[in-house]
Amino acid sequence: MTRSLLFQQVLNGLAIGSVYAIFALGYTLIFSILRIINFTHGAIFTLGAYATYALTGASFGFNGLLANASLPVRLPFVLALIGGSLFAAVCGVIVERLAFRPLRARGSDPLLTLVSSLGVAVALVNVIQYLFGAEAYSYPADPFGHLPSAVNFGTAAQPILVRTVQVIIFGVSMVVLAVLTVLMNATRTGKALRAVAEDTVTASLLGIDTDRLILLTFVISGFLGGVSGTLVGLSVGIAGPYFGIAFGLKGLAVIVLGGLGDIPGAVVGGLVIGLVEAFVPSQYIAYREAVPFALLFVVLLLRPQGLLGRTIVQKV
Amino acid sequence: MPAFLAAYDFLLVSMVLAAVLALSLYVPLMAGQLSLASPGFYALGGYIAAITSTKIFPTAGGLYPVSLVLLEMVVAALASAVLGLLVGVPALRLRGIFLALATIAFVEILRVVSLNLDVTGGAIGIFGVPQPFASQIQYMWLGLPLLGLCMLFVARLEQSRTGRALIALREDELAADAMGVDPTRYKVLAFTVSAMIAGVVGALSAHFINTWNSRQGTFDTGVSLMAFVLIGGSRTFVGPVVGGLVLTALPEALRGIADVGGLPAWLAQFLRDGRLIIFGVMIALGTVFFPHGLITPTVLQRLGRRRGSAV
Amino acid sequence: MSVAPARAATGPAAAAGVLGVEALTCRFGGVVAVSEVSFSVARGEVFGLIGPNGAGKTTLFNLVTGLTTPTAGRLRYQDRDITGLPPHRIAALGIARTFQNVRLFGELSALHNVMIARHVRTRSGLVSGVLGLPFARAEERVTRQRAMDLLALVGLADRPGEQARNFSYGDQRRLEIARALALEPQLLLLDEPAAGMNTGEKRGLSDLIRGVRARLDLTILLIEHHVPLVMDLCDRIAVLNFGQLIALGPPAAVQKNPAVIEAYLGDEA
Repeated sequence: MTRSLLFQQVLNGLAIGSVYAIFALGYTLIFSILRIINFTHGAIFTLGAYATYALTGASFGFNGLLANASLPVRLPFVLALIGGSLFAAVCGVIVERLAFRPLRARGSDPLLTLVSSLGVAVALVNVIQYLFGAEAYSYPADPFGHLPSAVNFGTAAQPILVRTVQVIIFGVSMVVLAVLTVLMNATRTGKALRAVAEDTVTASLLGIDTDRLILLTFVISGFLGGVSGTLVGLSVGIAGPYFGIAFGLKGLAVIVLGGLGDIPGAVVGGLVIGLVEAFVPSQYIAYREAVPFALLFVVLLLRPQGLLGRTIVQKV
Repeated sequence: MPAFLAAYDFLLVSMVLAAVLALSLYVPLMAGQLSLASPGFYALGGYIAAITSTKIFPTAGGLYPVSLVLLEMVVAALASAVLGLLVGVPALRLRGIFLALATIAFVEILRVVSLNLDVTGGAIGIFGVPQPFASQIQYMWLGLPLLGLCMLFVARLEQSRTGRALIALREDELAADAMGVDPTRYKVLAFTVSAMIAGVVGALSAHFINTWNSRQGTFDTGVSLMAFVLIGGSRTFVGPVVGGLVLTALPEALRGIADVGGLPAWLAQFLRDGRLIIFGVMIALGTVFFPHGLITPTVLQRLGRRRGSAV
Repeated sequence: MSVAPARAATGPAAAAGVLGVEALTCRFGGVVAVSEVSFSVARGEVFGLIGPNGAGKTTLFNLVTGLTTPTAGRLRYQDRDITGLPPHRIAALGIARTFQNVRLFGELSALHNVMIARHVRTRSGLVSGVLGLPFARAEERVTRQRAMDLLALVGLADRPGEQARNFSYGDQRRLEIARALALEPQLLLLDEPAAGMNTGEKRGLSDLIRGVRARLDLTILLIEHHVPLVMDLCDRIAVLNFGQLIALGPPAAVQKNPAVIEAYLGDEA
């Protein structure tokens, strides 16, 4: 393989990988604080994408209850993105209050929360389908103004192109990673969050407002979900309400590979899976879909704590 | 009566098959294992039946012999047992969430593989799976005995030494281990039994539905099965059966209500298409209000009061 | 309170008795829970294990029963090396235990709790159980009967069908003992069996332990905080502090040992 082709594959892998990474960041944040797998992240992701779409003033197709509906606003893309992500954050909080908080209050097994989140995710995605139908949507062209459509990492003679939106996704995931790392390690709120992650009861006895912090966690996670949903929708189009569920499943592979609850791990896991997918030889391209799950299965068997996680010791 | 059976023949058989499939989720759950792997074995069983009856023993018109269907079911059970052991032995060292995730991954891998192999028909799948019966309701000749046998099996299992071992593992795996119950051996046993049940249902379903493709036996199926067991009842074999029967009939019942008329359009539409919304919400509510489902041993005891208490 | 006659202390040579603990060490990351502990338990002894909280007593139990793997050292049971064996195999060899925080199968009835522990003494498998073959049915009958007998032994025969979690704390501890006895062990490990009991219950427990030891020819290893009970029951006592064995001998001698007194800092109940 020539050097430039190799480089192109690597860039493709990083591009795919940063899509997974940006989804996984919100996913793993919830696990890091609450030790639960929140499968609704995939549905929140979808809600964010649809909300941004609505806020750009576009109209929905002719299936579903709200056929041909559109909002009477027409925001520029970046504002719509923020608005849609805020909407996603609110949805995340509502899900938390209605579905997860009662389970937490009862001290339920995290497995029960996983099951509940599966149910809520399926319900939410089907509500979207019921309201807007199952069609594909795409955002208006040139959302960021007059940026070139692709960035050339090579030369004019041997172009190595990556689409601008993919570069943006990579950049955003790195920024989010940096912000979250600073938040968790260098701020008082971060310390409080880590206390809640260690032991919720003790944290509240120490005067930490655990409820508010859990709320904050879901707001951040939901906002990130909405951002990632919109950016992914921008990159590959919104394939229909179920595209979030597919990401939800793949996201499981990403966060387990990187280490459940490990924030840099989410990015590492995403990039690794992206790179592996990019380097699948062309005759097996049809099996590329199975790559994240095969990796998930292998990681679970060999090293369940993931690449960056610590071994979990069980107390008797 | 005949008109009722004819109108609802597809539904009735589907209900029975769903109930059996729910039992396949129940057996590992007796040992405290949430395994969403049943859809994978269901798909495997279906492919075995579909491939056997379309490529190995094709019929030149007319009905497909019931004896061959039974043979397919046996082969499906054995193949599922083998695959179950291969997957189960490594995977069942995992606990809780990790096991659930591994089984989800397993089903997805099988789905992608079946989407791409020629023998499984690729994305199109296999069409025209021959029928052993002239009408759909006659599938009850196989479906009902299958359900009855599985119910009997699981009921006897619950009362036996092996069943006690499984339940002890569910209650407290460490204490059960310290009392002499080998956790890995019994978890693998439960998983393998569950795989065999799912495989057999798959084989029969391939004939019943007449086609088979990668959309049968997926993550969605797993979510539905979870609803059957979680809502029907996860602490007694009656729960999954009732859950499977009722929740499969529920969408039809709702559709019937919608068709009655007089309802606003959006509600009628919701009742018709909102099956998964309702299941999803029921699962979420179930985890909070009915963590052991609606049919619990206590409920059964109250119903069976006349026969004396169960010890 | 009468003091039980002390058994003749057996020397190390003869105490290739029932249980041999040899330089056993257990490390969790940076914490050394058990450090180079060695002792042996003679057949028929009631051997007490005491020490301040966090001294490593329950960890030692977990090491003996295979729930935790030792970092170093060896375990011998009746001349057989059992180091590193999984818990169910150790149970099959004849070592049973109760837990510090009662670990009954809460949803199950008292009778079923006890019946489960007969698992290693019975052999009917999945097929024979489901089919109801005569061999399996006979085993079930015997299992049930033995379980009822054990419930009667601990004084809980009046409510075999009641869910274990509905029992009072003291009754739960007795039920756990019945369950452990169903294993037909030769070595019984009791982890703070008297915790949460009142004086009357403690006396009953003491009688029960003595009775069980005599009737079933058991060797008993006992963790207990209640000093009078320990003095009364035990033939020998080992004292742990910070994972190390600091004293070993008959109760009277141990009680006067300055290292022991210092460890407790006058903390005698």
